[in-house]
Amino acid sequence: MERPPSPRVSVVVPIFNEQENLPLLQRELEAALARLEHPAEIVYVDDRSTDGSLRVMQGLRRADPRVRIVRFRRNYGQTAALAAGFDAARGDIVVTLDGDLQNDPADIPALVAKLDEGFDVVAGWRKQRHDSFVVRRLPSLAANRLIAWVTGVPIHDTGCTLKAFRGEVVKRLPIYAEQHRFLPVMSRGSGARVTEMVVNHRPRLYGHSKYGLGRMVRVALDLLTIKMISQFSQRPLHYFGLLSLLLLGLFTFVAVLGFLGLPYAPGGLSGPERWGTAVLPICLLGLTIVMYFAMLGLLAELAVSASGMHRRSAIDRLLNELH
Amino acid sequence: MSEQLPATTNLPATPREEGSVDTAGIERLDVTVVVPVQSPEAEIEDVAEALSAELEHSGKSYEILYVFDGVTGAAWKSAQALLKRSGSRVRTISFKNAFGESVCLSAAVERARGRYIVTSPQYVQVDPHELRAMLSALDAGADFVTPWRHPRVDPLLNQLQSTIFNALIRLIIRGPFHDLNCYFRAIRREVLEDVAIYGDMYRFLPVIAFRQGYKIQEVKVRHLKEWGAAGFFGLGVYARRALDVLAVMFLTKFTLKPLRFFGTVGGLFVLSGLAVGAFLAWRKYWHHEPVADQPLFFVGVMLCVLGVQIVGFGLVGEIIIFSQARNLREYRVERIWE
Repeated sequence: MERPPSPRVSVVVPIFNEQENLPLLQRELEAALARLEHPAEIVYVDDRSTDGSLRVMQGLRRADPRVRIVRFRRNYGQTAALAAGFDAARGDIVVTLDGDLQNDPADIPALVAKLDEGFDVVAGWRKQRHDSFVVRRLPSLAANRLIAWVTGVPIHDTGCTLKAFRGEVVKRLPIYAEQHRFLPVMSRGSGARVTEMVVNHRPRLYGHSKYGLGRMVRVALDLLTIKMISQFSQRPLHYFGLLSLLLLGLFTFVAVLGFLGLPYAPGGLSGPERWGTAVLPICLLGLTIVMYFAMLGLLAELAVSASGMHRRSAIDRLLNELH
Repeated sequence: MSEQLPATTNLPATPREEGSVDTAGIERLDVTVVVPVQSPEAEIEDVAEALSAELEHSGKSYEILYVFDGVTGAAWKSAQALLKRSGSRVRTISFKNAFGESVCLSAAVERARGRYIVTSPQYVQVDPHELRAMLSALDAGADFVTPWRHPRVDPLLNQLQSTIFNALIRLIIRGPFHDLNCYFRAIRREVLEDVAIYGDMYRFLPVIAFRQGYKIQEVKVRHLKEWGAAGFFGLGVYARRALDVLAVMFLTKFTLKPLRFFGTVGGLFVLSGLAVGAFLAWRKYWHHEPVADQPLFFVGVMLCVLGVQIVGFGLVGEIIIFSQARNLREYRVERIWE
């Protein structure tokens, strides 16, 4: 088979049971890539589909030598599929895309052009979504607001798979455990220039949606992690220090409230004699938590320095500022 | 052929066997039977006899590798006698201290010459004829064959315990595991080279291999006897099984996301502490009972504190995972079509 020229743009598409969508997706991708002035490749990551997706992909690969297929040994989920795609990608620019045709491949040239303006990450923003409001859009809206507020990275739509990355940014990021929605935040944490762009969003043609509601608790917990990792992974002591200061403030507030009493409060809240006895143990235990968090911070600091990660990242950061 | 490992260092990376050929020239075999020996009363001869008869019959080339886990005495003597009689068919490794079955297995894998590794307990636990079915399952494409003693011959209470344990594991993992506590397994060599074996992993090897995406197959085997089969499991066994379930759950579900585990548990503690507090506040306003001089108040405060501390552990866990993330490969690729 004729070897295509070495690609500059890699399009990574995680595939899980999309046999009806694949031929159409491939046609649209070819049309979109034809409008790029760079040579490109398409990396399908087969997350162990159980329908005929693999056969369809192999057929596509025979027709188009730019297609590469990575097949997993079992179903590992979308984050792992993206990570595998990033590992396999050979281009300087990596574009990720959903396999279900809800993202429009026609947006790819614009994303790449935006990247060439000097950004490191361009996230897609599905401004007009075609999903049911209660099940998909409302939780997503809430989650995104929360993520933007907590992390300080003003991305409207973290859940959109259509994103473009500079290769060196994405190859440097540790990607694991369902974190793909946080990729822009993570890359911003390591110094990348992140922006977003409105992209087209289309209703589903074939197949059915692969995730549903009940993710809020997990997103909330993940958010706590991401905040810590993206901003404090070099100095976890600061994170834990801030947490313990926050708690210290809370307990000081409780103590002041308890000992002074609420003068106009109804019932028995008015005098110090009734609450004083309760406030003392609360504050003592609160202080143990403050100490405890400080110690945890030291422990985390130890884990980070033992891994040697902080040194490497400092160099990465420097390189990024130079280029 | 036997070697003594120094007690302080764990394991040398390369075998140092007298008269063995260099790695390139090592003769490859079909099957290596690995027998971790953990008691001086181990039935060395019986195991060798039962398995070699079966392996001879199957026409596969094989070796038997006894790993003495800090064990000497009668077992060691009979192994030496066996060694003299059977030439290169039998080999031994011995540790100065007991390191446990997991270390036995990884030491054996480093030295094994077979394509397939069969692990056997130190006595004839199941019918050796079953080996044929297990090996042909490997030939047919399975990566890991795990036995299912069916029917079993040990006391009913023990069986009940084992059934519940395995049912729980199945519920958590959703894999084909009916009998994790039988160690008569047949495994493709690459699996053991890929999967990290340490600590208590020996028991959960099928689970871990399953999680890594290897093809696991269960084969029903005839149970012959149980080591010291007369007794019931003690209470300690039950406690360890409960911990095992917890360990599997943690290992398979939350290894990469410690905060999801610790955060949920800690959050529940905090919530229950707050519920206690709300209850006390209600009593204070409507019944004018003092808050601080009853034990429930301290229970509530302690629950909150404990919950916050557990969440803190999760955060440190996340930091540790993140700092190691470059070494963690979450997925296994079967094939790449370039």
